[in-house]
Amino acid sequence: MGFDRDSATEAAKRDLARRLGVSEGEVSVSGVTSRDFPDMSLGAPVGDEASAMMIATGWEIDLKANGKAYEYRADKYQLRAKGFEGKNYLVKG
Amino acid sequence: MNRGNFLVHLMIAVVLVALAAVVGQIGRWRSMLKVQDTTPKKATKVAPVKVAELDGRPELLVRFKPNTPLAKIKQIAAANNDRVEDEIESVNGLISIDDLDDADVTGVVRQYQSMPDVEYAEANFQIALDDSVDRNSRPAAFAPNPVGAPNDPLFSDQWALNNTGQNGGTANAHIDALKAWAKTQGSAEVVVAVLDTGVDYTHKDLAENMWIRPANLPEYADDELGTIDDLHGFDANANAGDPMDDNGHGTHCAGIIGAEGNNGEGISGINWNVKIMPLKFLGRGGFGDVKDAIESINYAIERKKAGVNLRVINASWGSTQRSKALEDAIKAASDAGILFVAAAGNSSTDNDRRAHYPSNYDLPNVLSVAALDRNDKLASFSNYGAKTVHVAAPGREITSTWLGDQYREASGTSMAAPQVAGIAALILANEPKLSMAKLRERIMKSADPIDTLTGKVAVGGRLNAAKALGE
Repeated sequence: MGFDRDSATEAAKRDLARRLGVSEGEVSVSGVTSRDFPDMSLGAPVGDEASAMMIATGWEIDLKANGKAYEYRADKYQLRAKGFEGKNYLVKG
Repeated sequence: MNRGNFLVHLMIAVVLVALAAVVGQIGRWRSMLKVQDTTPKKATKVAPVKVAELDGRPELLVRFKPNTPLAKIKQIAAANNDRVEDEIESVNGLISIDDLDDADVTGVVRQYQSMPDVEYAEANFQIALDDSVDRNSRPAAFAPNPVGAPNDPLFSDQWALNNTGQNGGTANAHIDALKAWAKTQGSAEVVVAVLDTGVDYTHKDLAENMWIRPANLPEYADDELGTIDDLHGFDANANAGDPMDDNGHGTHCAGIIGAEGNNGEGISGINWNVKIMPLKFLGRGGFGDVKDAIESINYAIERKKAGVNLRVINASWGSTQRSKALEDAIKAASDAGILFVAAAGNSSTDNDRRAHYPSNYDLPNVLSVAALDRNDKLASFSNYGAKTVHVAAPGREITSTWLGDQYREASGTSMAAPQVAGIAALILANEPKLSMAKLRERIMKSADPIDTLTGKVAVGGRLNAAKALGE
């Protein structure tokens, strides 16, 4: 199992809806961009995680809900929430 | 106490014990009483991610004071409803602990830290790769190889070994492999461990240069892990003997060090002949945890003690998280005479100010490596540090072996570190008795000075294999 651009985006929407306690329909996609990240934690290390220093190719997924912007990062192995309420989360990986 | 009172007390005690066992807290209480820990575990608020709680993986690394008997350690762990997952034999007293309660790791760490028998305790955190894989690599150039070059068809693409200015590079911005090979092309007597995602040991350009456990060397035996058939190396991720790569990164690093040279196939490693021992601790996604890194280093040390001529470990990974346990394991490798070559990191930052590990451990065997491009410029992603990054080596657009008999171009300090590990092996092929300290010194003193690297890496220059061999 792994992510592609679409499945990562759908998973990100589901995760944000769950975190905010809203329906998926209230989460919109502002943009999905292919980009290189500085490491294998996709530049979003979690807590004490020793984050990967690999510049990994993946997608930045920008979402909007309740008038606020949220960022997710994904590659074929993982999905991360970046800076959600000041913290990073590994959603799946 | 009379017999009647004794029986009443006994019955009360039995009831209490049963109740405590039911709620699963008896161990923790007993432990708290024993060690007078005033920091009990708090109920864990379930977070979306708990990095260390990975399917029964050990959550803690605890170093007990010297000479604390293992039996006592197991007793302490059991009293906390924890389990001794493994003893790291190369570091006296270092134990990986599996917290069966899956409680908040920080609280458990604090609890162990407060125990009188404990030197330190830390969470077992994840580590990831230090490279930038260009998955849209351009096709390798096919061009006639220069005189004295190996007949490998992709050699002309290996600017790091022989830079003629191909593809917009600068002539001689390389490690000068052709000149080095006039002296030695490596030796099958030298073993280099690739501590990584494993290595595709069946790759047609690597198979001949892979370490295989000699027939006279017994299978690896560990008190906790049992006996492991380590025919091809070690997989600490699965505590097994098959270190097959399922990511590609380790295979790429291995090819830089020692893809078979002059075999008319693919690329040439810095060593045409060498033995590469795969130590797998990073999983398919390029992540691993520090305990598995330590277990792998422990394996390497044990194999060296058993007679394997393992002289170098390549570590193309890192993090900004310091681990005393990992540092101790690398120090144990140093004590065993093993050079530890580490990628400096890919954050474009100064390691003197913001440390990157394991490259920043101030140990006699650690060599930290920055990455250069084909024009002798520090790669844009590369970390640097006048004090903490020792040398620079080619690390951008490096062609090497990949899974499934493939070849790929990749960039990162991950690709720079194996250049150093490879040259270390080449030097040892030429001077087998050279000590680790002298080997490290030789590598550092034989760098080509590069103005733009002054103040960026300790030696202010780029690695030169020919100079390191005295050519």
